[in-house]
Amino acid sequence: MGQLILRRLMTAIPTLLAIIILSFILMRIAPGGPFDGERPLAPETRAALETAYGLDKSLPEQVVQYIGNILTGDFGPSLVYRDFTVTELVAQSLPISLLLGGLALILASILGISAGLFAALRAGKWQDEVLMLCATLLTALPTFVTGPLLALIFGLWFGWLPVSGQGDGVSWLILPVIALSLPVAGAVAKLARAGLAGQLGQDHIRAARARGIAPLTILRRHALRPALVPVASYLGPAAAGLLTGAVVIETVFGLPGLGRYFVQGALNRDYPLVLAVVTLYASLIILFNLAADLIYGWLDPRMREG
Amino acid sequence: MKIPLILVAAIILAALLGPLILPWDHASIDWDSVRVGLLSDGHILGTDDLGRDRLARLLVGTRITVSVALAAALVALVIGVIWGAIAGWVGGRTDEVMMRIVDGLYALPFMFVVILLMVVFGRSIFLVFLGIGAVEWLTMARVVRSEVMALKNRPFVLAAEASGSSGTRTLIRHILPNVAPVAVAYLMLTVPQVVMVESFLSFLGLGVQEPLTSLGILVNESAEAMDVNPAALLLPGGVLVTIIVCLTLAGERFRDRLTRTGRAAESAS
Repeated sequence: MGQLILRRLMTAIPTLLAIIILSFILMRIAPGGPFDGERPLAPETRAALETAYGLDKSLPEQVVQYIGNILTGDFGPSLVYRDFTVTELVAQSLPISLLLGGLALILASILGISAGLFAALRAGKWQDEVLMLCATLLTALPTFVTGPLLALIFGLWFGWLPVSGQGDGVSWLILPVIALSLPVAGAVAKLARAGLAGQLGQDHIRAARARGIAPLTILRRHALRPALVPVASYLGPAAAGLLTGAVVIETVFGLPGLGRYFVQGALNRDYPLVLAVVTLYASLIILFNLAADLIYGWLDPRMREG
Repeated sequence: MKIPLILVAAIILAALLGPLILPWDHASIDWDSVRVGLLSDGHILGTDDLGRDRLARLLVGTRITVSVALAAALVALVIGVIWGAIAGWVGGRTDEVMMRIVDGLYALPFMFVVILLMVVFGRSIFLVFLGIGAVEWLTMARVVRSEVMALKNRPFVLAAEASGSSGTRTLIRHILPNVAPVAVAYLMLTVPQVVMVESFLSFLGLGVQEPLTSLGILVNESAEAMDVNPAALLLPGGVLVTIIVCLTLAGERFRDRLTRTGRAAESAS
């Protein structure tokens, strides 16, 4: 197990470095800079600004300096929010995104796994067909349609829940979390159904049934763990989906999370901010893939050696 | 399989022909009726905050979304087929390196890569589909590769080689035509993916730019005014969802049918 983690980290670190270096270079060769306003700046002012932000050094020097700074937790100053460092902005907004994403992941797993298992037990019957059609629908519904729609129905028409901003209590979380979790829940349901349906056809399950073991016991003791392997392997893509979904959901519901800053940063060419968010997101996705591998090994002992 | 495709065809047809019939175009402003509701002053769906006809914008937006999606899917198809065919046909070390690259790219948060590309190279419609196509080819490459590998040792390929056909010729004339059905199935599954990415970007203001419009932009605009005109939100959203759902369903059926008949059994993994 320790070896597996070590080996994964050995590939994760170069991947992460490659992403950082590549996005850094892309950002630097981009036409148009943060100081290109409507009025051209005086050359001295411009030079002073570039020195202050370290933009006058050579590209490799900048990359090395940037990576060194990241390691000490310094993502540089934000070019648009002048009074804040990127680290401060991230520290403010990341908890909201993590809360949102974490709750959505939990909700999606509960909904998806239970729907998928139920469908597999009813394989071929109408319940199966209906649930799987719903799952396909859910995966196809973009969050930027479901988000406003939920806000319209439950926020404006019924007036039950707040539609924007961060209020008191937890009611402001309900709609964003539901909207964010729906596509992931659909995908999880499909995978859980395929996993369990595949398991139920196996010889060892038929043998257990022949020995007269109660269906629920068979499910719990023999079929469930291997059936969830495909779900676990989906954890990495699910994390990526939640992160991109959060970008939209935070914009729709007006929540000050990391995704919203990312969009603002992208629209305003705030390089340090965009770079920091891409780096963070990439490391989160790599972490989730690692977690998926570990859960994989726990669910299916055959994977532990490989 | 039929109903979803007919629905999509009807939407595309309406988007192509509709703007020719309507008296308004998507960008012209009717100063006498700004922000009016359904069925007023000859505007079937009303007008938006700037007095532009909503129906015309919906049809033009659909047209743009669909064409960007098709163009991007074609980019993905071309890159994916070339990459996968070379990896599968040459095999060995080349195959390993090429597929490692694909694995590595899979791990990237690709939506953010597209956004990064948009930020760096400016936001133009051309870059939108080039950027999306450049990140959506990975699955296609994997599928084509495994299909080519499965076909490589079939008797008809050996026969072609025995009768003196060169490697490139065999690949192009004998193998690729047999890969086509599976490639088409995955192309059908790529299009809804791309529709989703394009509208996502446009929704955030990072994709297609005004005065052009797309379904994503329309959803965004109407989400801001949904309390006064809910229909404005339901329509672009509905069209978008219909396109995505129908193409996904049709593509999945098509792929499953291919897999079930055993022709593509190996490529399912």
